[in-house]
Amino acid sequence: MSAAARSPFVRIEGLAKTYLMGDRRLEVLRGIDLDISEGDLVALTGPSGAGKSTFLHLVGTLDVPTRGRVLFEGEDVFERGEEGLASFRNLTIGFVFQSHHLLPEFSALENTMMPALIRRVSRAEARRRAAEMLGTVGLGDRMDHRPGELSGGEQQRVALARALCLGPRLLLADEPTGNLDPQTAEGIHALLSDLNARLGITAVVVTHNERLAQALPRRLRILEGRLV
Amino acid sequence: MRERRDTFTTGATSGPTPTSTPTSTPAAVPAPAAAHAGHPAPPVFSKRAFALVLLGTFGAAAVAPLASTFFGDRLALPGALATGLAALSAAAFGAALGAAAAVVARRLAFYEIAAAALLWAGAVAVVTVVPAARGSAVLQPLESQGTLVVVLGLLGAGALAATSVFVGATLAYLAAGTGRLDLSLSYELFVARSHLRLSPRTIGGLFALVVTGLVPGLLVALAWSLVRDAKERRAYRRGELYARRRMPATLLMTLISIGGVALGVWALTVVLSVMSGFEADLKRKILGHNAHGMVLTYGQNEFDDWRGIREQVLGVKGVAGATPFLYNEVMLSAGQNLTGAILKGIDVETVGSVTDLPRNVEDGELGWLPKPDRIPHGARLPEDEAPRAGAPPAGARPLPGLVLGRELARSLRVFVGDQVNVVSPFGDLGPAGPQPKARPFRVAAIFYSGMYEYDSKFAYMDLAEAQRFFGTGDTVTGLELKVQDVDAARAVMGRVVFALGGWPFRAKDWGELNRSLFSALQMEKVVMAVILGFIVLVASFIIIATLIMLVLEKTREIAVLKSMGAGVPSVMKIFVAEGVIIGAVGTAFGLILGYGSCLLIDRVGIPLDPEVYYISNLPVLIEPAQFALVTLAALALSYLATIYPATKAARLRPVDGLRSE
Repeated sequence: MSAAARSPFVRIEGLAKTYLMGDRRLEVLRGIDLDISEGDLVALTGPSGAGKSTFLHLVGTLDVPTRGRVLFEGEDVFERGEEGLASFRNLTIGFVFQSHHLLPEFSALENTMMPALIRRVSRAEARRRAAEMLGTVGLGDRMDHRPGELSGGEQQRVALARALCLGPRLLLADEPTGNLDPQTAEGIHALLSDLNARLGITAVVVTHNERLAQALPRRLRILEGRLV
Repeated sequence: MRERRDTFTTGATSGPTPTSTPTSTPAAVPAPAAAHAGHPAPPVFSKRAFALVLLGTFGAAAVAPLASTFFGDRLALPGALATGLAALSAAAFGAALGAAAAVVARRLAFYEIAAAALLWAGAVAVVTVVPAARGSAVLQPLESQGTLVVVLGLLGAGALAATSVFVGATLAYLAAGTGRLDLSLSYELFVARSHLRLSPRTIGGLFALVVTGLVPGLLVALAWSLVRDAKERRAYRRGELYARRRMPATLLMTLISIGGVALGVWALTVVLSVMSGFEADLKRKILGHNAHGMVLTYGQNEFDDWRGIREQVLGVKGVAGATPFLYNEVMLSAGQNLTGAILKGIDVETVGSVTDLPRNVEDGELGWLPKPDRIPHGARLPEDEAPRAGAPPAGARPLPGLVLGRELARSLRVFVGDQVNVVSPFGDLGPAGPQPKARPFRVAAIFYSGMYEYDSKFAYMDLAEAQRFFGTGDTVTGLELKVQDVDAARAVMGRVVFALGGWPFRAKDWGELNRSLFSALQMEKVVMAVILGFIVLVASFIIIATLIMLVLEKTREIAVLKSMGAGVPSVMKIFVAEGVIIGAVGTAFGLILGYGSCLLIDRVGIPLDPEVYYISNLPVLIEPAQFALVTLAALALSYLATIYPATKAARLRPVDGLRSE
């Protein structure tokens, strides 16, 4: 607890990722240091291939860094082992991906329930929470539609609801509006800001859209694997 | 994950990177080194798990014979049940230790199990080469059947033991791989169902396809497909798009795997039931015609007080009937026809209490044996004997009676009432040594047992008449016995000899008398089961292929599930559930089809050429234990088939799945 008191919410130290492609070394991230405080709403921008997604994946423990570490309230999350990481992702992190990645065979409600079901929450309770969250993102009346029957903006809202279903402390959004028209994109961003303000969710949002990034309180830029 | 770590170690020597900036405090300087020691890959080989696995494999192989002895000899359970329970306890032992190994290693412990299996194979090689080991008491029963049987038997036992350990390890990992017990399958089944897309309609269609024997169903499907193709082409010519709903490849694969399992289970159950039918039929005929056991004496003509001994034997617990018999080999002739036969002198009064002979008589009457004057005169008489046989001189003793098997009568071309000459090689002493003794008899009855061996070889006459003919005085060859419980015949015969005081008496039971026949049947059945088991094995390979296809198709979905926090055992459960569902549906189909086919064979009957098989219809015996065994084997194979694809799915790195677009 004392460590948590001393340390920031998320501390990223010397985070680096190198891929070996045959003989070629591809240094995607070259050492990133960053502190994120609870309640931050961070915009991360940068050109394609700068390493934004890789950074997000590493912070979300979907990939293992080559060097450096991610401290979550002072604890190095990668020391948890595979199962520990899985439950860490389940409880603490919410992901929103560029192309929503909803499961096409399930309805919006079932998609939103999935994290809770993975956590072994009872079906009724999962349904209740998912319905509530879908209501929060403004999709209370489209719960039984499958992703294919929803518009792009609606799909992304479902993805957001799914990410938020278990009340994560850190929301990682990888170009959530990349595939959307400007108006819808703005709606999603407004929703993000609103959720940040209302629920106090810490969020890191990767975006291409400089204009939308300007609207967020804290802005970071990645260039050639470094934070500038 | 491990490759990445390699690149890490090469770069880690540089310590904190030059870009370490604002937040980099002195305390954070040693951080990279700590991080790099912090999350090492789990060890690939755990010695503790290996010890457990080794104990499980070798222990299971040792438990099986011990348990077999315990259940079979100590608890005196019937053979099949004792064997089954012994196999189950050995498998449970192996599975328990495998589970312990998986919990210790926090992995599937696959390498440890493979190493234990290899060690077993090595031990088998040593045992085969070292003569001292081969002579040991444990291997004695196998040793008598040759080296190949020893090696194959030991390797098979090792494979089964290792498999049970593996099943235990995988189940334990699936249940407790997260570090705590998690038996829930709720969302895994939810996802698995969506992958398989098995609606009741699809399953119904597949069942119809399998039931109709594939061909008509496939023809209908082909016709339907052609019609839709034509529609599509017409629409294309008109410039319209005809959206045709295509069956997803994975669904097709799923259905094919279900069909494969169903086919295998079907074939196994039907063939094994038919073989059981043959075995039961043979047993019934052999036991119906023969006694369950016989009491004999060492030496000849010692069995003179047979009436007293018969009373004594009837008093033994478990004996249901006893009848004396006199056994001799003779030649039979009628007209120009000549054949060898086994002639048994029987006591007509008591023979019915031991064998089915009185019930097998199809022409004439057994009761005419002691009363030959009642035998009607045959329609066809040999020319030269016609005057004598046709009208026996008044006051002369009528010719004694003889009972022949149907085939024997046919080869002699005689009917009830006809005359047959019986020639015994051991006759009176003539001027040139022993002279064959011949005497005419008349056919009193013809029996049909259903066994060609018996119907073509056996002839019966009245005991007193036989004693007179062979000049044995009032002795018999032995007593034939019927016991209350056929399977306990061996024990009863032991009690009989004990009651008679041992020497000079000895006893044989039916198993001993027909051992080669029944062990050949058993062997044939095992071989058939193994061969047909390969169909199920191939079907389980189709399951593997199907699941791998599903894993490839669902890479992205798996990544998303993992990003939401699904752990390795959890993702594995999804694909294990899919494979087991495929296996279970296929097995259910197979069982239904197998049971239906057996009923059909039983009710309708498939005629056989009785000249060849000596049985008029294909016999079938539906044994629940056999069905259960097939089910267990099919489910176990489908379960094992899922492990590799499931591991493959669970080990996918989420980033790869998210990137693949």
